[in-house]
Amino acid sequence: MRRRSMNDQTRRIAALLALAAGVAPLTAARAQDAPFPIAAWSRTTASIEDRGQPAERGAAVFNNWCNACHSRNPMNAPGTTSLQNKYQGGVPAALEDRKDLTIEFVKFYVRDGVAMMPRFRKTEVSDADLDAVAAYLTRR
Amino acid sequence: MPTPPAGVSEADFQTALRELESVVGRDWLFKSDEDVALYKDSYSPLWGEAEERVASAAVAPNSVEQIQGIVKIANQRGLPLYPISTGRNLTYGGSAPPYSGSVVVDLKRMNRILDVSERDKTCLVEPGVSYFDMYRHLRTNKIRLWIDTADPGWGSLMGNALDRGGGYTGGDHRDHFDAHCGMEVVLPTGELVRTGMGANPKAKTWQLFKYGMGPWVDGIFSQSSFGIVTKMGFWLMEEPEAALQVTVSVPKRRDVVPLVDTLHSLLSSHTIPSQTNVASPIMNGAADPNLVKLRSSGGTASDADWDRYAATQNRPFWTAAFIYYGPPKVIAAQWEHTKDRLAGIAGVQFGETASYTFPLSDEQADAVPDKPRLGIPSLNLFSSRDAPGATPLEGHLDFSPMIAPRGEELIALSDVTGKVYADMGVTPPFVAGQMFHPRTMICFHAVPTFRNATDNRRTRALFETLVRSCADRGWPIYRIHAAFQPLGMQMFGFNNGALHRLHETLKDAVDPNGIVSVGRYDIWPKRLRRPRA
Repeated sequence: MRRRSMNDQTRRIAALLALAAGVAPLTAARAQDAPFPIAAWSRTTASIEDRGQPAERGAAVFNNWCNACHSRNPMNAPGTTSLQNKYQGGVPAALEDRKDLTIEFVKFYVRDGVAMMPRFRKTEVSDADLDAVAAYLTRR
Repeated sequence: MPTPPAGVSEADFQTALRELESVVGRDWLFKSDEDVALYKDSYSPLWGEAEERVASAAVAPNSVEQIQGIVKIANQRGLPLYPISTGRNLTYGGSAPPYSGSVVVDLKRMNRILDVSERDKTCLVEPGVSYFDMYRHLRTNKIRLWIDTADPGWGSLMGNALDRGGGYTGGDHRDHFDAHCGMEVVLPTGELVRTGMGANPKAKTWQLFKYGMGPWVDGIFSQSSFGIVTKMGFWLMEEPEAALQVTVSVPKRRDVVPLVDTLHSLLSSHTIPSQTNVASPIMNGAADPNLVKLRSSGGTASDADWDRYAATQNRPFWTAAFIYYGPPKVIAAQWEHTKDRLAGIAGVQFGETASYTFPLSDEQADAVPDKPRLGIPSLNLFSSRDAPGATPLEGHLDFSPMIAPRGEELIALSDVTGKVYADMGVTPPFVAGQMFHPRTMICFHAVPTFRNATDNRRTRALFETLVRSCADRGWPIYRIHAAFQPLGMQMFGFNNGALHRLHETLKDAVDPNGIVSVGRYDIWPKRLRRPRA
């Protein structure tokens, strides 16, 4: 089993690197799903800790740290693609569309990581920012 | 509670932690198990084993003065420090120290973009500035300059350059260390130095001329342990008028020889301005027993065997991918000349993948499929579960042998590594030669890591065999995960390890107490040096 597992992993890494290396045919641009990430990136490297109301701050934290993997636009979101393949439509693939997330769930994955997603340190996502993004992702 | 580093008493360690806290404030000293665990290497090939490299604590300064305060305490208490910039050097060790017990100096809070000159096409940044940060800054301020981003783009401009990473855009930008110009460094003694023209406080050319006066010392701060770099200048690329992304495909296995020779010539003459990637759609095909047999043959399969297989696949044997930047008329002439030079290869095919005119709108930039080639940072490389129900990837190591840009070498490397994988019962991965640097190819393989010791033991054995087998053939690697840095340095052992001895002679001179980045690239202070054979 382990041997097969390692081969499986190797093949899939090969596939993703082949794609990055421009070997596989490039997928055509897909229809855009709002909101649009780059526009939301409009911040400098100044701290976002003191910005706005919690919901606004949570959205800013999401855009800054999560969106490059978990965007609604699957073209820019390997995390969204991965969750689509995991749940196969059982829940929405984009985290911002989920209705079942809990604060504890969000905090666990940010600090523990999962699969290729590494842990995020407190110098990256502070505890206060984590509270804000957890509140944002669990808003109903 | 954290365990003190070896050789430091519990009492001294606790005193040192209190002193560090007085420098950075309570919020920025991390000493609980839960906080320190955030510094683990998420892709560690030693995950959960006794040998896994782990920190004892972490401290996050926000200024040069705070770094100097930390260094002073470390010297007094014999505390090993491990500076990280953004901590995203994953596959090479991430935010974990090479020497367990080190206190990580997390520089992510120092994320100021100190200067961008559109006129000079330069910038000066602190360690915590990521490619995403800089891209957003340029875009928000409508500055018509490009970064050359590493892929993925969450890393630090400085950190990636100091580990000698690379990217995809124009000639003198994609070798990231080569694209830097001027540094500021806190030495292990606490003294602050500026290199190059920066040593003249009035010089207006710190980010424009690299050398200044006297020996050029910047190189000793890359892949090393000789100081904590606090500022670094970079050359940025002027946004071109247009770009054209192209492919060149050739049908037979041995066609890679004239293909690579010609591409190398066109790169040398700057006709092709960008990272050029030569990969094999045949060898990288889906798992197929006939393909695995050929890949595993160790070179006994002939060109004719391979070409017979390729004929059944309806794909070219090799495809090169690259991109032109510049005015449309110039691009058209460069592309035409490229086609003329390659027309002699029977069956050659030319493709145009995408064309762009700049600046791009936000919508256009977001829709670019191959972002790093346009200096746009991305995480699209990470596709950990790429099929319904698949087991997700957990991490990987990069195995990165460097070869001369010759087709024969690319073929030989795929034969040698294919046999190594086959002997260990693993399907050989794809092979591609990627010209990040002007006169070499890097042939990356991603070797998977796991969260269990049994699979990681196989990974480590495979990785070490790959490193040794390729070095034996004259293909040493250019960069290596922290856990394998002693192995990596062994491959550079001319004259009984004279280069390594020189590194440690320098270490003794600039870091007499041996406190900064202990063990990084196998450079050890005297007290920890193992006996040499």
